[in-house]
Amino acid sequence: MATAAPPAPPATPQLHGVQPLRAGEGNSYLWRKLHSLTGIVPIGAFLVEHIISNFETLNGPLAYAQQVKFLNSLPLVRILEWGLIFIPLAFHALYGLFIAVRGRSNVNVYPWAGNWMYLSQRVTGVIAFLYIIQHVWRQRFAGVSLPENPGAAFHKVQVELSNPWMLAIYVVAMIATSWHFAYGIWLFAAKWGITPGEKARKKFGYVCGVVGTALCLMGLASIWAVVYKYPNAPENVLPEQPAGVVLPASQTSSPISDPSFVQK
Amino acid sequence: MAQSTIKVEIKRQSSPGAAAVTEKFEIPYRPGMNITSLLGEIALNPVDVAGKATTPVTYDSNCLEEICGSCAMLINGKARMACSALVDKLEQPITLAPLSKFPVVRDLAVDRSVLFENLKKVKAWVPIDGTYDLGPGPKQAPQIQEQRYPLSNCISCTICMEVCPQFNDATGFVGAATIAQTKLFNMDPSGSVLKEERLRALAGDGGIQECGFAQNCVQACPKQLPLTEAISDMGRDVFVQQVKDLFAR
Repeated sequence: MATAAPPAPPATPQLHGVQPLRAGEGNSYLWRKLHSLTGIVPIGAFLVEHIISNFETLNGPLAYAQQVKFLNSLPLVRILEWGLIFIPLAFHALYGLFIAVRGRSNVNVYPWAGNWMYLSQRVTGVIAFLYIIQHVWRQRFAGVSLPENPGAAFHKVQVELSNPWMLAIYVVAMIATSWHFAYGIWLFAAKWGITPGEKARKKFGYVCGVVGTALCLMGLASIWAVVYKYPNAPENVLPEQPAGVVLPASQTSSPISDPSFVQK
Repeated sequence: MAQSTIKVEIKRQSSPGAAAVTEKFEIPYRPGMNITSLLGEIALNPVDVAGKATTPVTYDSNCLEEICGSCAMLINGKARMACSALVDKLEQPITLAPLSKFPVVRDLAVDRSVLFENLKKVKAWVPIDGTYDLGPGPKQAPQIQEQRYPLSNCISCTICMEVCPQFNDATGFVGAATIAQTKLFNMDPSGSVLKEERLRALAGDGGIQECGFAQNCVQACPKQLPLTEAISDMGRDVFVQQVKDLFAR
């Protein structure tokens, strides 16, 4: 009778290299899908709104001031600003950087169109990120506060773009951002299974190309209007706008309690 | 003037941990050779270009007709099947190297077991094992067959994973082949019983969400699988499953 212990089963060989799928583990699915979704709404929607609003610069400083005033008079505007712009944008940007640094681009070996677009989405994303940091800081938080002084908006941008370097940065960022958004919509449709077929993706590619080009041209036209169409815009075209709703202050008594007002 | 020799440079390493070295060979020219027959010639007379005796080059191969998926390697820098890479169509010197994203076993042979592990994770099979005869399976409509057949052509060569910018140590992305097999078995009338489990598995870390849609997989696939279509379809199904699980489970 053999007394030797049965041979131990061979140990599971340690896998080197790329690890297998971690089925049922982690939350990266949620974060990645949120990243994808926030790029469309609210950030993409905001980008469209921003470019359309800026297009008012073609109608001059006063029209632009009224557009800025309108946006800043939206109900709960500061909550809208933080909840639908700043927070989603910060998440999309930071998670996007996380995605970008983990990719290993290989266009040098496989110079195919889709592979170039993969790289372009990361490059334009980083350009947009760097641009938006300075743009938000210099136009929203530094200098004259536009929510209280919408009349100063045109002049503030004009002063900013008077620096040819800054003008170049704005043009490059405009192109990069439109590119990133247009290809982002295409990627969204492809990855969420909206355009699974080869033909559907191709057709939708043309749609995205038209949308991106239109947004980009509108943005560039706004830059042109600020720099060349209305030179030397006045520093402020509207009286100071108090934050919140305030009744006219300079009257001795309110119109309601004024007897002459009632008689009429 | 017909060329008389074929110049080959092969990146070799003798064991998993060993340093890689490049050996150069010059093989008498014959028309109509492929890379596997070239490696066979070297094995017949393993002597490098300087006349130094060496060992035959190790590489995986089996069918020699692009149906087993064994002989994927980097040929002139690009991931290809050695059996279907024709010497007459390649620029010389021909460089051969092991796939770059899989641990080297020896020379051109790499350990691609990560694909096997991934296929197990998504249960890429039809569960028909039982203690009694399950009888004939359900009928499969020709329309379903036509969608499934191209996906069934996968030879597990891992070229789609090698060329993918997202398939790397940092992401641990599952790769296109496994996603395509998920679609293949989800569309099988018998295999679809495991559909939900497969879709849940694909939402784990390294799952379908890591796809960056560079579309290299579908460009490089030697069997022309509709990989991007499969990723898109599974992307939708995985999302729907996640939403269902969130609200209905």
